[in-house]
Amino acid sequence: MSSTEMREQSIFLTGATGAVGSELLRNLAARKGLTINVLVRRTDREPCERVKTLLGDLDVTAKLNVLEGDVCAGPSLGLDNAAVGSLQRETTHIIHAAGSTSFGLALPDARAANVWGSRNVLDFARSCASLECGAFLSTVYVSGKRRGDFAESDYGDAGHGFVNSYEQSKAEMEEMVREAMSELPLILVRLSIVVGDSATGRVSRFNAIHHAIRLFYTGLAPMIPGEPAGPVDMVSSDFVAAGVLQLLENGPSPGVFHLAAGRESCSSLEELVDETMSALARFRPEWRKRSVEKPLIVDLDTYELFVRSVEETGNPVLQGATRSIRTFAYQLAHPKVFETERAAAALAWGGISPQPSLAFYPRVIKYCLESNWGMRPC
Amino acid sequence: MTMSSSSHAGIQSIAEYVPAKVASVGELHERGLLRGSPDTLRSFGFETVHLAGEESNIDMAIAAAEKVLEESEIDREEIGMILYAAALNSSSTLWDGNGGSPNGSVLQLESVPDLFKYPTSIIQTELDLPNASVVGINQLGCASIFAALRMARALIVAEDDLKSVLCVSADKFPAGRHRDLAYNIVSDGACAALVCRGADRNRIVECTQVTKGALWDSEEIENEIIAAYFPTAKALVERTLAKAGLKMDDIALIVPHNVALRSWEILGRLIGCPADRIYTENIARVGHTIGSDNLLNLRCATESGRIEKGDYLLLFTFGYGSNWACMIVQH
Repeated sequence: MSSTEMREQSIFLTGATGAVGSELLRNLAARKGLTINVLVRRTDREPCERVKTLLGDLDVTAKLNVLEGDVCAGPSLGLDNAAVGSLQRETTHIIHAAGSTSFGLALPDARAANVWGSRNVLDFARSCASLECGAFLSTVYVSGKRRGDFAESDYGDAGHGFVNSYEQSKAEMEEMVREAMSELPLILVRLSIVVGDSATGRVSRFNAIHHAIRLFYTGLAPMIPGEPAGPVDMVSSDFVAAGVLQLLENGPSPGVFHLAAGRESCSSLEELVDETMSALARFRPEWRKRSVEKPLIVDLDTYELFVRSVEETGNPVLQGATRSIRTFAYQLAHPKVFETERAAAALAWGGISPQPSLAFYPRVIKYCLESNWGMRPC
Repeated sequence: MTMSSSSHAGIQSIAEYVPAKVASVGELHERGLLRGSPDTLRSFGFETVHLAGEESNIDMAIAAAEKVLEESEIDREEIGMILYAAALNSSSTLWDGNGGSPNGSVLQLESVPDLFKYPTSIIQTELDLPNASVVGINQLGCASIFAALRMARALIVAEDDLKSVLCVSADKFPAGRHRDLAYNIVSDGACAALVCRGADRNRIVECTQVTKGALWDSEEIENEIIAAYFPTAKALVERTLAKAGLKMDDIALIVPHNVALRSWEILGRLIGCPADRIYTENIARVGHTIGSDNLLNLRCATESGRIEKGDYLLLFTFGYGSNWACMIVQH
């Protein structure tokens, strides 16, 4: 999407303070001739202040409006009537990136964030007179506990169940968006695990994967469930940002797309574990002295026996470590490959394609170490 | 007893000393001797432990050693060495383990010469083993006896005139202290083994050990030690099998240390050994006797008829320090 093509366009962006949303915001904000209306919740900090922090010293050339609101605050999204009216007239594109990516929420809470919030954004989309495309961000893990290939034309868990409430709430969100596709120009963009910037390794928000790396580092992760040869799909944040914007502008609508490493660029679980240990030793040589053993890749039954034992001990540190891993690691025990044909075709002309996971993953580990997992400015 | 002039060494005889006094998990809890939940410890397979009374670690060591000497009917003059393996630092002193030590110390130090009074010398003279030189082995936690057996084998192979080595291990837990360590319950006890040139049973095929010195502070980084336990144990067992040219299917029985049954369920899965080939019968009844578990279990398994001549047995243990030790013997 060139700056020329985006001229006169007005993008309504939710979730701009999230891991993916912040990458999208930075990407869009550096373009000319574009209006970006960003919906930001008030936390303990002012919305404008939060956005300013995210943008840092970026040269903002787009027209940027920060609107205080909340996708979960009903059809008005927490905005006053005048603001809603203006957005309804002006908005040509919607990127709905807001939601909870927490794997540990109770299902009602996950639904509140990911289903009901999306319903409000859908209602808002219906009211936009000039809407050209609305992109709803989802996850490839709406596939739940399926195994094997998962195509962009596939939906949901196919009765296999979900690993966590996040996956289930996103699958329910997709059902709602799919129904609306008959009346609205919408796309669903399913993201793989976003780990950081491919060039710098920078992580805008640390998630379960980064916590797992930390547990590897501290030696508190003796085992993870999975199959050594099972595929692990990870993508960089810059690929995702470029891909979402390209699909928003040029992706066939309606449609479902996977922004994933896919068969060609994913790694095996064993390769990932090996690279994690290798990179930790390479970037922090003194870490070798700790003699941390490589975590074992074990079958699910063995892992569950270990988790149950840890739970019985009541040991808060080990419980925290296993709970942190188990929220996502059960996915590793249900290996699958995410097919990316549609996305690859739509992104090809822009020269956008995922890098092999292991090409940039070490840089993310380096960033984790240097920033002490976000505790230290880097 | 006569031995051949073979250069191989084996564990010819084993004896143990387990104090008569028994306490249940519930009783330990009532007496304030458990840090953790008795229910958790029971679910991990523990029921009772043995507690020493007035007897010291040296008394227990002598009792076990006297038993093995008598049962083996060995000529005491044949014993060329005593390897005394102690897990607790206090066990390598003359401290009796009945309390009264100043905070942080492991012995009642009345004078500097006390530091030169060693249990191993007392064991030698009490047992009347005039030809036995003595060596003390410690600082390997519960893996100390494995180091003793390994050194005994190596010395017998290396020194032509050394025919028999007496390995002894004894530990008495400090009185009044919590007896659960890393979700295991500790018993007092001792064991003794005669490692002999050309032994007609329990030929020591392979001995291995991994030490992770970074994990030396068992109190401060207990969680890291627990987390390191399984991957390191699996790697060591596999390495030992490979060195011996064997596979897990070749092992007739694993002779374990008496840590939580649950941990053996997990480790058994990791190393591909079904539960019925792990001798866990003593975990509930005896608990973890620090350094004496494996030899005690080897003797019990032999007496119960679980082992046949020629069977390969795999012994494994973990000791603070942190040390993982493994041994394969052929019965």
